Amino acid sequence: MSRIKRFFRTYKPFTRAGMQEMIAYRANFICHLIGEIMAAFIMYFVWKAVFLSSDSETFMGFTMEDMVVYIFITFLTGYMTYSDGAFAVGEEIIDGSIAMRMIKPCSFEMCFLFQELGSRLISISMIFVPMVAGVEIYRYAVCGEVRFQIGYFLLYIVSLLLAYMISFYFNVCYGFMAFFFKNLWGTTLIKETLVSFLSGAIIPLAFMPSGLAAVLNILPFASLSYTPVMIYMGMYSTSQILWSFGLQIFWVVVMYGVTKLIWRSAVRHLSVQGG
Amino acid sequence: MKRYLRLHRIFVVQYLKKLMEYKVDFLLGAIGLLITQAIQILFLGIIFSQIPSLIGYTFPQILFIYGFSLIPKSLDHLLTDNLWMVGYRIVRKGEFDKYLTRPINTLFHVVSENFCVDAFGEMLSCILLLGYSIPQLDMPFHWYTIPLALVAVVFATLIYTSLKIMTAAIAFWTKASGHIIHMLYMVNDFSKYPVTIYNKAVQTIITYVIPFAFTAYYPASYFLTGKNPLFCIGGTVIAGTVMFALAVFVWNRGLRAYESVGS
Repeated sequence: MSRIKRFFRTYKPFTRAGMQEMIAYRANFICHLIGEIMAAFIMYFVWKAVFLSSDSETFMGFTMEDMVVYIFITFLTGYMTYSDGAFAVGEEIIDGSIAMRMIKPCSFEMCFLFQELGSRLISISMIFVPMVAGVEIYRYAVCGEVRFQIGYFLLYIVSLLLAYMISFYFNVCYGFMAFFFKNLWGTTLIKETLVSFLSGAIIPLAFMPSGLAAVLNILPFASLSYTPVMIYMGMYSTSQILWSFGLQIFWVVVMYGVTKLIWRSAVRHLSVQGG
Repeated sequence: MKRYLRLHRIFVVQYLKKLMEYKVDFLLGAIGLLITQAIQILFLGIIFSQIPSLIGYTFPQILFIYGFSLIPKSLDHLLTDNLWMVGYRIVRKGEFDKYLTRPINTLFHVVSENFCVDAFGEMLSCILLLGYSIPQLDMPFHWYTIPLALVAVVFATLIYTSLKIMTAAIAFWTKASGHIIHMLYMVNDFSKYPVTIYNKAVQTIITYVIPFAFTAYYPASYFLTGKNPLFCIGGTVIAGTVMFALAVFVWNRGLRAYESVGS
């Protein structure tokens, strides 16, 4: 018990720092958020036009209502699982400031994790509740009945947390890689585009050819976005949910292992010049 | 004017030398932009595999509008990318002092200092899209189509650049405005599709307030149908001129407000 207490006492200041950073740069945060929401609205208008032009009520099994929920919950999931806290790790290796992290009695990735948690708490309070409420009000207005199911919502939260962990460790690994590819703008663009495609954020995996969809479902990217969104929408059966939780946990463990491996070998080869 | 053209050439040559040093960087940036566009096209392809037309537009027509939207976007990206740096770094770090001490126009100097070859990724996808869609379309063609297209492209690019100048210039007052330029760039995504898919409010905003619709949909729809040349092409020219005048005004006011960091 005291160990857990000490653990949280060690990392709490990082969370506070993350929150303060978020508040200090709130204009950046709000502009960024508005920009991202606009992208979701473009998708909404495109899909509305698709359903207007189509003879049938559904598009490959999705109704307009499903599509709206899909677009906005995907946006929310992507926003909540976005992780760039560990992005600086490559830079810190280059300029040697990583040494300062190594002499502290705490794990380097936990520092990043708790710092990001701080900024995440702020964005949860600002966007999570309004977004879910907005989607549910829309659903109520369209169907005339409450479609919100607390059970699926809670399972979604669990899946979202697992997705965040995958995203976090994946991006720590990417932070190490960024150290080799100096062009951060180009590589980050490639990474983010590929991840959003492979995770079904642009095109639902259900719309892809079945062979490709099956492969993408197993890759870690589907666990980042598609899985939690499908659970929220109640599209998965109990056995599918259990299976996808298992898969998500599997990918958290794998990403964690890879991070530790890279960290160890980086530390062994690290030599920081002077001071 | 001649002097400025010569200076621009010197700046570009300098930049290309720097670029040769970092070939991989350029390649990665261009590949990233190419992949981004390819995925968007795949998205449209999947939609059109299920429906014959999107509110009256066929697949080649949508691709033409999409491709057209990339022309001004990539030209602006190629030529004026340094404005992003004004928003993110140059003003905040006090590096803007450099431009004030030179005997040339500050705006010209900032813009011509960088030559962003990453934009070739967008240009390539633009050429592929237009090359694929134009032969499948039955577009009206007259002797004046090509000159009008050139005029439309020039003024559409001017709309882009002017909006970027204005948002970058905000940094003169606030020290940093990169996030505002970013927001503007998210708005420009609205111009990739026919404006008729949006509701009235959005249509009004992207036509009269932030005239991104004139960078793609309006001129492109004129070339597709030959209708409304006055509004589609004339509107682009007017929007480009007005925006540029506004941009120069805002930039000059910003210069007066600029304070160095003092170290």
